Amino acid sequence: MTRHHPLGEEIQDFADGRLTPARREDLEAHLATCPQCARELERLRWVKEGTARLPMHEPPPDLPARVAQALDREDRRGSHASPLRRYLLPAAGVLAAAAAVVILVSRGPRDLPSAVGRDFAAYNRAALALDTASGDGPALERYFTRRGLAFRTRVFDLGMMGYGLVGARVHQLDGRPSALFAYRGGDDRTLVCLMFEGSLDELPQGGEAREHNGIEFRIFKEHGLTLVFWMEGSVVCALVSDIPREDVVQLAYAKAVKV
Amino acid sequence: MTALDPERKRALFEATALPLTTALYNTALRLTGASADASDLVQETFLRAYRTFENFSLGTNCKAWLLTILYSVHINQRKRAQHAAISLPPEELDALLDQDAAGGAGGDERLPELDERWGPEVDSALKELAEPLRAAILLVDIEQLSYEEAAVALGWPVGTLRSRLFRARKRLFATLEGYARATGYLRKAVRPE
Repeated sequence: MTRHHPLGEEIQDFADGRLTPARREDLEAHLATCPQCARELERLRWVKEGTARLPMHEPPPDLPARVAQALDREDRRGSHASPLRRYLLPAAGVLAAAAAVVILVSRGPRDLPSAVGRDFAAYNRAALALDTASGDGPALERYFTRRGLAFRTRVFDLGMMGYGLVGARVHQLDGRPSALFAYRGGDDRTLVCLMFEGSLDELPQGGEAREHNGIEFRIFKEHGLTLVFWMEGSVVCALVSDIPREDVVQLAYAKAVKV
Repeated sequence: MTALDPERKRALFEATALPLTTALYNTALRLTGASADASDLVQETFLRAYRTFENFSLGTNCKAWLLTILYSVHINQRKRAQHAAISLPPEELDALLDQDAAGGAGGDERLPELDERWGPEVDSALKELAEPLRAAILLVDIEQLSYEEAAVALGWPVGTLRSRLFRARKRLFATLEGYARATGYLRKAVRPE
């Protein structure tokens, strides 16, 4: 039997049924002889039961219709090219026909796409903070230099594509110094770009390889995100977002330059 | 889920996701505190979910998936409203939450049954919680997600979820006990001789 009082969180684990049978039995024996811990359990259960029995509020009567209308608009939108695609696709379409498309099937041990995807998800959930909030690309490039990044960064202006720069952070991607900058577009959509010294050879096998304007692009899909990688000199650029896959690819095509 | 034709996708979404409107609305309402904001949040959540419905694995917990999207949209909207790109480091946030969870030593009085009639008091006590603590209660105690599902939805490690849930319950206890005491519902426990 537990001689010492268990931590409050362990009593909570007991209340929530998260203990192993052996630990549960041990704690039960303690609770039977310890009024203090039994009282703690009673309080936790009191609150838990009170919140579980909280009455539900009825949604406003017009909410289902509003949602249905939003889905209808999305259905109609899906049957037409988006404004972004209308802007970018004409030139890309011709080149895409000539692009070499190679589907690779297996993944190597080093998984930069997963690391980039995790960082995007963390930023999107506000779990990864920006160092500085600014919509000024050149100022952010100077910021990266001041903060000691040993490579040249190029912070893209995506204003014409409907994405405003939000800010940046000096980041550690998979243990290597990197520049991270974020954009926000209509419908609160987020784009994140990462730059770091390296090579496309470090990417795992898998995803899709394309060529556009003489630049090699590697495209990955990770948990609903699209990640596009390409090289500018010795710097790997990665663009990641949860917007439609081809929109991310077209943005990368529009902004990548051959160095 | 493989790509669906548009009509099949819409039908499947309506059958799988839309029945959860009330649960989403209640969570949104308790996060935002206003019906209009909650409606906007739910509408945006469904729209995002519909766009990425191919990412949802049929047979898994659709409510957990939708609440993950809802919380992400809520956090982004709040950041935009506050014009704040910079959030507190995790250790500073937890220090603040510690302050919020202080108190609640409580006596040994018999606690009243917290039935539906206590709804307004429980809602009011929830509103007083710092948002991360409130979110933990909303997802685990009200929407009945597992620790693991709630941790994914909130973007926290499971250990952080467990710890914040404990603090939230302690704080709620202190507030509700205060209400019960003020309204004369606490009774001295009768001890056997």
